[in-house]
Amino acid sequence: MEGQGEVRAALPPLARRRTLLRGGGLAELGSRAFPTVLIGALVLMIVDVAVRSGLSVAGSQLVNGITKGAIFALIAVGYTMVYGIIELINFAHGDVFTLSAVYGKEIGRGLSWIGMSLWGVSLGSLATRGPLGLAVVLLILFPLTMAATGITGVLIERVAYRRLRDAPRLAPLITAVGVSFILEGSMLVTQGSSNVRTDKEGWIRGTAFTAGGVDVHWADIFVVGMALLMMFALQAFIRSTRLGKAMRATAQDRDAALLSGVNINRTIAATFFIGSALAAAGGLIYSIFFDSVVWNLGFGFGIIAFTAAVLGGIGNIVGAGLGGFLIGLIYVFGGQITSGQWSNSIVFAMLIVVLTFRPVGLLGMRVPDRA
Amino acid sequence: MPEPVAGLGDVDLPATAAETRAQESSSVYWLLVIGGLMMLLGGWLLPWFVEPTANGIGASPMDVVASPPRGVGSVLVDLMCLSMLGLLAGAAYDAVSLRLRRGQPYRWARQRAVLAAVGMVCTVTVWYLIAKRREEPLFGELSPLALTDNAVWLTLTGFALCCLAYGFRRPIAARSGLVLAAVALVIGALVPLIFRQSIEFISWAAGAAAIYTLLALGLNVVVGFAGLLDLGYAAFFAIGAYTCGSLASSRHGDVLHIPFWPYPFWIILFLGAAVAALFGALLGAPTLRLRGDYLAIVTLGFGEIIPDAANNNAFGQTGGPNGITGIHHPSLFGHDFGIDPRPYYYALLVLIALIIVVLRNLERSRIGRAWVAVREDEVAASATGINTVSTKLLAFAIGAAVSGFAGAFYGAELGIVSPDDFQFAVSVTALSTVVLGGIGSITGAAVGGLLISFIIFWILPHAQEWSMTFGNTTGFTALSSVDYSKYVYVAYGVILVSIMLLRPAGLIPSRARKVELQAGGESEPLAAVRGRA
Repeated sequence: MEGQGEVRAALPPLARRRTLLRGGGLAELGSRAFPTVLIGALVLMIVDVAVRSGLSVAGSQLVNGITKGAIFALIAVGYTMVYGIIELINFAHGDVFTLSAVYGKEIGRGLSWIGMSLWGVSLGSLATRGPLGLAVVLLILFPLTMAATGITGVLIERVAYRRLRDAPRLAPLITAVGVSFILEGSMLVTQGSSNVRTDKEGWIRGTAFTAGGVDVHWADIFVVGMALLMMFALQAFIRSTRLGKAMRATAQDRDAALLSGVNINRTIAATFFIGSALAAAGGLIYSIFFDSVVWNLGFGFGIIAFTAAVLGGIGNIVGAGLGGFLIGLIYVFGGQITSGQWSNSIVFAMLIVVLTFRPVGLLGMRVPDRA
Repeated sequence: MPEPVAGLGDVDLPATAAETRAQESSSVYWLLVIGGLMMLLGGWLLPWFVEPTANGIGASPMDVVASPPRGVGSVLVDLMCLSMLGLLAGAAYDAVSLRLRRGQPYRWARQRAVLAAVGMVCTVTVWYLIAKRREEPLFGELSPLALTDNAVWLTLTGFALCCLAYGFRRPIAARSGLVLAAVALVIGALVPLIFRQSIEFISWAAGAAAIYTLLALGLNVVVGFAGLLDLGYAAFFAIGAYTCGSLASSRHGDVLHIPFWPYPFWIILFLGAAVAALFGALLGAPTLRLRGDYLAIVTLGFGEIIPDAANNNAFGQTGGPNGITGIHHPSLFGHDFGIDPRPYYYALLVLIALIIVVLRNLERSRIGRAWVAVREDEVAASATGINTVSTKLLAFAIGAAVSGFAGAFYGAELGIVSPDDFQFAVSVTALSTVVLGGIGSITGAAVGGLLISFIIFWILPHAQEWSMTFGNTTGFTALSSVDYSKYVYVAYGVILVSIMLLRPAGLIPSRARKVELQAGGESEPLAAVRGRA
């Protein structure tokens, strides 16, 4: 794919003809107007809900959308990082998210068992005892689950993607779909086909404050706060550490990075580790918030989060965060307007619209090759 | 498939002994040999797993041990077992010598052919004596079970395939596509006769294998020929099925009225295909300008939107979660198909054969060459004057049309369409089929369709019984309670990953694709220069 730009430049008449044939003007207009139209549509949706169902409903849905969006954002970051660095849509990423919730459940059970046998305290009882207990539990549970999920991500890369890094593009995409199915299938086999409780009921309870008739719960604040914390930490990591620099270099030009002494394999493995660990944070937050997980949850969430990544501009971490929150709002308000039936379809249609009119996304960094 | 891709490759004359051997033993040859041996083994082992106490007499040595035949029968059975053992030992010898010294592994072809022929004759005689003549004095106590009969048929087919493969190696290598098509058609037509005792097997064969094969053939146009990954293929299947459902049921008061033709099913079939193609074009037009992996995720989203829309009763047309019921059954020349799965199966066989002919011709046409060019290098293709967008769009629409075709047929066969039938699993099944068979290979898609359906509808459900029997006989009771039907998803995943890692061109590779996938990366131009791509 390298050298496409030069070929284009060498063939101006052809390029011009193609633009004319494709109605480039319309796409151009759509691309420029896109952010305005998007925000306008979102505001219209919110106003519509507020007018029809009242301000308090709109307000609570706003909170709901932002919390959902925080989780989408955490997953989207994993998509965008992997895409940025090896240009692969990691279809398995959504399932890594689900897997992390299952890991969180199993690790929690293990910890509870240890706690029960040593001190007679289970994880759940410690977490519901008070803020300090909760903090202790989270400080143990988050790193363990994130590490376990991160290692799984690295293993997936090692087994399924590394050998195909230089293969034609179709090959790693197909293995990614395969890995996704292996993960989903093994969760179906081990966890069963219905919703599974994650043993995190009532960890974070109560209302933080009420504004204009809208209850904002501690859980909402926790979800959004954790997501923002993780993403700022990631941004700082990528900006200022050596490994982060290596990642940026690899994303820009893998061969040049290799020539300047970057260990490509290790950098890509680290990308998968971090992406999966962030998905694990999302999975834990999700299971604390909803206390239930189902084997194919990651499938729908995966597409939604990928839409978020594309909306923000694929390869752009800030964009993934922004896209996540926007998609969360669109998801919730679209669902509210269509009484809950069409929220998935609206987001998926959104994906098609974004790719048609503004494939670079809102904050686009990397321009997807126009074939 | 050693078919030269027109305009791209040339067939060099074999220079070395190794190349001669490679050409003489095409994948079709191997397919026949391996398939035949598997059937032999299957026929032999079937009674072991399914019913260890079977005491009827058939081809199975187990049965023979259970109640030994007397007189001529014992000689026949002994001879048959000997020839079976000989063929299996020959295969083992091949495998070992291939591994040890890469020497001439394919020796004694004629002797093997004779062995297989002897076995075949013995099997036929044994079967005839049991089934038709009921020659009790020959064989002792008789209780011909359905199972034993299946075992006999498997063994018989196995011997026949081995005969064919070993006896006619050179002609097979020369005209491998034709031979494979002939063998597949004959076996396909015989399947309902072979397994005539178990009706559910026939409905399996009709309802699933053929439909999946059809889906794989269509998806192969998109993924294989044009190199676009379509992950929402089930959407077009659903569109075809729902089109048929709306037009061919009383839901809309039988919209289509043609004089003297009360129910034009065969027109509706093509309407389903046309509507699906239209949707394919609508979806593809804006997104095909983007790179392939974006298309993959867009189609994934589309594949979710369509069942979602069907489920939510979009525009009041789809009947919600219950779907559309009461679709008329088709009829041909006044013969109503009804609910008997057999006519559907034969109709599908004919349709598949027709579609294969059409797709083969397309592959070798100007369009087919344009697809290959776009797949290999879009910039170069557009520089040579190919309109890449419309080329890709055509592949996408043709793939969608085949899917819609299959969907319309499926709807008419079941008499009901509901959103549950078109979930993501269908798309992934089709994709696994294409990948398993060989991306870009029509033969591969057909064989893959059979293999996948065999795994899903036969092996996984039966694995339960087998594992239970095995667990009970060996004492591992844990094996008795495993639910294998849950492993379908894992099986798909393992197929996709392991094929892409170990044999990226699939079981029956198309030649150009094989070179491309193996060479990959930097050596790709080199392969092209050598004229191998």
